[in-house]
Amino acid sequence: MIHYFKNIFETVTTLLQGLGITFVHLLRIRKNNVTLQYPEERWPQPQRNIGFEHNSYNVIRSRLEVDIEDCTGCMQCVRACPVDCIKIDTVKVPKDTDIGTTSNDTKKRLLVTRFDIDMSECCFCNLCTYPCPEDCIYMTGGPNSKKHPIDYEYSTYDRSDLIFRFANVTEEQIERITKPAQPGEQTNNG
Amino acid sequence: MTISWLIDWVNNSWLGFLGVPGAFILAIIVSGLAIFGLVAVHAIVAVYVERKVSAFMQDRIGPMGQGPGLHAGKWGVLQTVADALKLLVKEDIIPAAADRKLFIMAPFILFLGAFIGFIALPFSETLSLANFNVGLFYILAVSSFGIVGLILAGWASNNKWSLYGAMRSAAQIISYEIPAAISLIAVVMLVGSLNMQDITRAQTGIVLGFLPNWFIFQNPFTFLAFFIYFIAGVAETNRTPFDIPEAESELVAGFHTEYSGMRWAFFFLSEYANMFIVCAIATVVFLGGWQSPFGEFLAGPYWGLLWFMGKIIFLVLVMMWFRWTFPRLRVDQLMSVSWKFLLPISFFNLFGVGIWELLSG
Repeated sequence: MIHYFKNIFETVTTLLQGLGITFVHLLRIRKNNVTLQYPEERWPQPQRNIGFEHNSYNVIRSRLEVDIEDCTGCMQCVRACPVDCIKIDTVKVPKDTDIGTTSNDTKKRLLVTRFDIDMSECCFCNLCTYPCPEDCIYMTGGPNSKKHPIDYEYSTYDRSDLIFRFANVTEEQIERITKPAQPGEQTNNG
Repeated sequence: MTISWLIDWVNNSWLGFLGVPGAFILAIIVSGLAIFGLVAVHAIVAVYVERKVSAFMQDRIGPMGQGPGLHAGKWGVLQTVADALKLLVKEDIIPAAADRKLFIMAPFILFLGAFIGFIALPFSETLSLANFNVGLFYILAVSSFGIVGLILAGWASNNKWSLYGAMRSAAQIISYEIPAAISLIAVVMLVGSLNMQDITRAQTGIVLGFLPNWFIFQNPFTFLAFFIYFIAGVAETNRTPFDIPEAESELVAGFHTEYSGMRWAFFFLSEYANMFIVCAIATVVFLGGWQSPFGEFLAGPYWGLLWFMGKIIFLVLVMMWFRWTFPRLRVDQLMSVSWKFLLPISFFNLFGVGIWELLSG
């Protein structure tokens, strides 16, 4: 008989204990919350120390990145690509027009009007980076982390956003560079 | 405002040409739609609240629905509305081996059991659809009618999990009906009436100087009876910790394993309607129904509705609190809780209430 009442007492007290625990959690949700509203909030990126320098990696194939200022439009990377995910369009620049030089002091003779890399097709073979005479196409991170940090999330809402468009010349610029204005027209426009 | 009031009102208005039968049918339709609206709104809001409460208790944040691609409103308030719309347009699957007629009928019978109980609820001093003398008995009777639908669903599905679930829930509801009814009888003994309005009116005033004169505070036996009734009520709604009829880890989903779309939604709707009914009975019988907890303060027919709904919402929240705190009972534990503990205590209670009434009255 005593066992019976002891059982009831124990049940009631332990149940109340449990209710107390959940109630405290219900009230302190702001403090205890573990869910991260991912696209709006992110965890801070931890400072990693894996024992050696990032630069001493052989290569980290994270994502292709192009320094479009250095590109001469030689199409070497397009020919190297085994899956044809790089698309380059160029326009010839008139002889007397100067569109600058690359960081290796090579004179640019072609205007790159389109430099698209479809990263959803890319097979990360890294073959396009070797033939580049200007070292302007590279995989981000690792030895190249000084040029461009690793894009850790590298995710998009739409698959078409995986086509990275590096060319930054506008239609107007193409017009202005390829068809140099006549002296008379310039005054008219001005 | 009862159904008969509504019929009189229709007869005396420009709709008088309908005659008494027409007015009767119109009144039935109007009140039925009103109850269905209450049930549906309660289910939609309660599901949202339940998801939030469960999330908060587990240190999560529940449905949020902001940001690109997700459109459930701020804090996810439209999540249940979206889910309900999804259920409406979902494919309606009836298994080839199922007993087609019974399969179609079962969710509606189950829902009916919960639905017609709303008729006798005293929403406020003047507002109840039907105010009749066997109110409490009627609600108890019709809410156990739902078990027929449950067994039909399990049987008609032609699925071992469904049948197991249905059988378990029949055993469970029959076991828990007895302590629930006996603890209600303890109060009925004090009032001397089964009329819901009479039971509520018997709880007017103040007891012990500051507490409202509700039956939960009137004497120690009715205090105990409230908890017995509430535990048995949770068990009757088949909710955790008494959810062995639909135990996910054992029976897939129990009696509604084979149901999908709108038919499944009716099971869900009737679960929430049953919660409402059980909490409403507990409110009327033990917590003073539409009585204000502060004596005359904020009392009256309109405030009464607020108090009544407020108390029910509080009890529904407590049910959710139970659900997300306690683990599921084993079948034998479930039976022993009912037959070895709740039933003897409720009989003892009944006896105690009688003695108390004899000595004090």
